[in-house]
Amino acid sequence: MRVAIRGGVALAMLLVLAACVNSPAPAYQPGIANLQVLRAGAAPIAVDDFAADAGVNNSRFSLRGNTMTGAGVDSDFSTYLQQALESELRTAGRLDAASGLRLSGTLTTNRLDAADSAVGNATVGARFVLTRDGRVVYDRRLVADHTWESSFMGAIAIPAAFQGYAATVQMLIGQLFADPAFIEASR
Amino acid sequence: MKSNILLRHAVRGLAVLSCAVVLTGCLATKSYVDPTLPRVARADIAAPANLHPVQVAVEFRTRGTANAAGTAEVQPRVVAIAAESGLFSTVSREAAGPDAGLLTVMIDNVPLEGENAEAEGFGTGLTLGAVGSMVTDTYVATVTYSRGGETTSVDVRHALHTTIGNHAGPEGLAPVSMLEGSHQVIDQIVWNGLDQLADKKAFE
Repeated sequence: MRVAIRGGVALAMLLVLAACVNSPAPAYQPGIANLQVLRAGAAPIAVDDFAADAGVNNSRFSLRGNTMTGAGVDSDFSTYLQQALESELRTAGRLDAASGLRLSGTLTTNRLDAADSAVGNATVGARFVLTRDGRVVYDRRLVADHTWESSFMGAIAIPAAFQGYAATVQMLIGQLFADPAFIEASR
Repeated sequence: MKSNILLRHAVRGLAVLSCAVVLTGCLATKSYVDPTLPRVARADIAAPANLHPVQVAVEFRTRGTANAAGTAEVQPRVVAIAAESGLFSTVSREAAGPDAGLLTVMIDNVPLEGENAEAEGFGTGLTLGAVGSMVTDTYVATVTYSRGGETTSVDVRHALHTTIGNHAGPEGLAPVSMLEGSHQVIDQIVWNGLDQLADKKAFE
């Protein structure tokens, strides 16, 4: 909290001083609902590489003169999604790189809009593929759309957009883990 | 905490900054921890006869939506209190084995009904603090403990009042910094949640 409050003040000062900020998306935090679903019965899963469909913005968002990138050495948003899934599974004790259950995916939609003075919006979609010993047991496209209160002031709108994007990714992962077909396939 | 409180304080912070360019030291913020929630410490909670390991999961939300930065800031405090409580043999943020319980703490920062923090903060800034304002951050928390197929949940509500500029604080309350006030609110939520769960024999 201390760091965040200071960070917020520092960010506000930076914006007042007209400095542009180039930052990665917020460190992903696993959701309690996702943890509970995974603990309820999912078997250990390995997470393979994620990519993005052609034409999908996988590198950076421009937010009122500031830039948000993804994660990992490539700073891609597909890597952000991959690492978010790993974080969720690790927290639930269900991440196993040697598992015969392997999850991979492709980013199919990736939008973040902080231009509006009243609301911000993000849409993140992915095709998730789960294989068991090389055989596809789950293959589905999911999309999460999230709108949040924004502001005409960049000091409010930009941090809200960063948090809004992370929340949207958590919602997308929540859809996956709560999908009865995924639950059945991952037992 | 990039939550309501941060948004509100960021708005006020901008107002403060703009004022500071013209007139240094014209605005001040003071926070007041709402006195309604009882103060609970380790000595108030009876530890169970047999301690078990626990995994702690925390989620901070702003108006019902997950707030990753807020969670990152709050989680270490929750884990530290769980360890200090004496209610568990070990405390971990990761999966802690089949014998472990799961303690989840979800804290949602919601606005006080009818309050417009941004407008009030902006007005305070425009008047260089002559017209002060007070905003109340309300925290609605659910603390849940699960182990061996049994789940117990309790709800805890708390609030932090913050004044900007020339505005009196709540009567009878001592002012603290915003940071200290936020820490006290989070800590008291967790202590009260653990106390209520212990009263319900959740850890037995």
